[in-house]
Amino acid sequence: MPQGDKWLDQNAGPVVRPYALTGGRTAPAAGEVLDLIAIVSATDLGERESDAIDLSPEDRTILSLCRRPVTVTDVAAGTELPLGVVRVLLADLIARGRIAVVPQRRTGDQPSTDLLKEVLHGLRAL
Amino acid sequence: MASAPSDGPDGLLAAFKIVVAGGFGAGKTTLVGAVSEVRPLRTEETLTSASIGLDDLAGVGDKKTTTVAMDFGRITLSNRLVLYLFGTPGQERFWFMWDELSYGALGAVVLADTRRLDDCFPSVDYFENCQLPFVVAINCFDDAPRYDPEDVRVALDLDSHIPVMLCDARDPGSVKQILITLVEYVLARRPEPSQAEPAAPLAPAAPAPLHDRAGPAAPLEPAEPRGTFGSGLRLIPHEPGGEAVSHDRATWRSTVQ
Repeated sequence: MPQGDKWLDQNAGPVVRPYALTGGRTAPAAGEVLDLIAIVSATDLGERESDAIDLSPEDRTILSLCRRPVTVTDVAAGTELPLGVVRVLLADLIARGRIAVVPQRRTGDQPSTDLLKEVLHGLRAL
Repeated sequence: MASAPSDGPDGLLAAFKIVVAGGFGAGKTTLVGAVSEVRPLRTEETLTSASIGLDDLAGVGDKKTTTVAMDFGRITLSNRLVLYLFGTPGQERFWFMWDELSYGALGAVVLADTRRLDDCFPSVDYFENCQLPFVVAINCFDDAPRYDPEDVRVALDLDSHIPVMLCDARDPGSVKQILITLVEYVLARRPEPSQAEPAAPLAPAAPAPLHDRAGPAAPLEPAEPRGTFGSGLRLIPHEPGGEAVSHDRATWRSTVQ
């Protein structure tokens, strides 16, 4: 930065600005905003057509990450895109039937006591 | 690289999150990194002169970067359970992310740095207000003065049931103990008459939480006494100037409001 080396190195960030990938949208077009730890997974359609022509490179990366159930946070980390961008892209893929939200083993906001105990046992066993 | 463990026996898995909060430079990123199985995702930006004044580095010595987005770490507990730790952005201008991080969280860890204890007042206030269960972990920096956790409890104006413990955020064992204490605490607060585990299954292990020392402190609190604590607490020996300012959360709140 001090001596004007180059305008663009990796510190300059991506050449395509993140929200250009979403057409400038910062929130999903429809549906609720995905929770950070919502679990998503590719649908059969998504698996089958993982290189369909209407998919952007980012969509493909997301689909390949979602071959197994992963959290939204992990998708964001795996794509190295901002969370807000990933949410928009995921919502698009969900709307197009390529990705689905996986129901979790808990009801509502409060995990069951049994589940909490499983967490506790898991922690103790670390 | 470990994507989340795939389908367990019943084909489902559950993800939990715990929020790690605390003042700027209190060691949140370190704590997350100590137990995470993946390198924590962190978006750090070098502090520049532009952020001086916004990010007060007094007393935090050589910390040169500050987390501007979020850190998270992941712990796979079983083939069906994954636990995420999210560090809150330290600066107040990122408050808007707190609601998001706290929503649906299992609980929170407030990391306290005794050199700048008042930095964690906002975190304590926040979790009290949104009623998210939390524990306070005092990060024992090598050069920070040591205090009795009970003194910290008083300075933070914490209810006697809230666990307060010493920790080393670099040490996985220490961090694990914090998380265990938090989950035990969450479980103990559940009204669960059916279980043979009333509010005391918190068998204090070796580096135990010191929250069972509630004895002397407990009678002090018939709901109102916030603000009556604090006088004479000299927890923050501010370095160069020398005047040991007595900080406590009750006074802090009265100045904020």
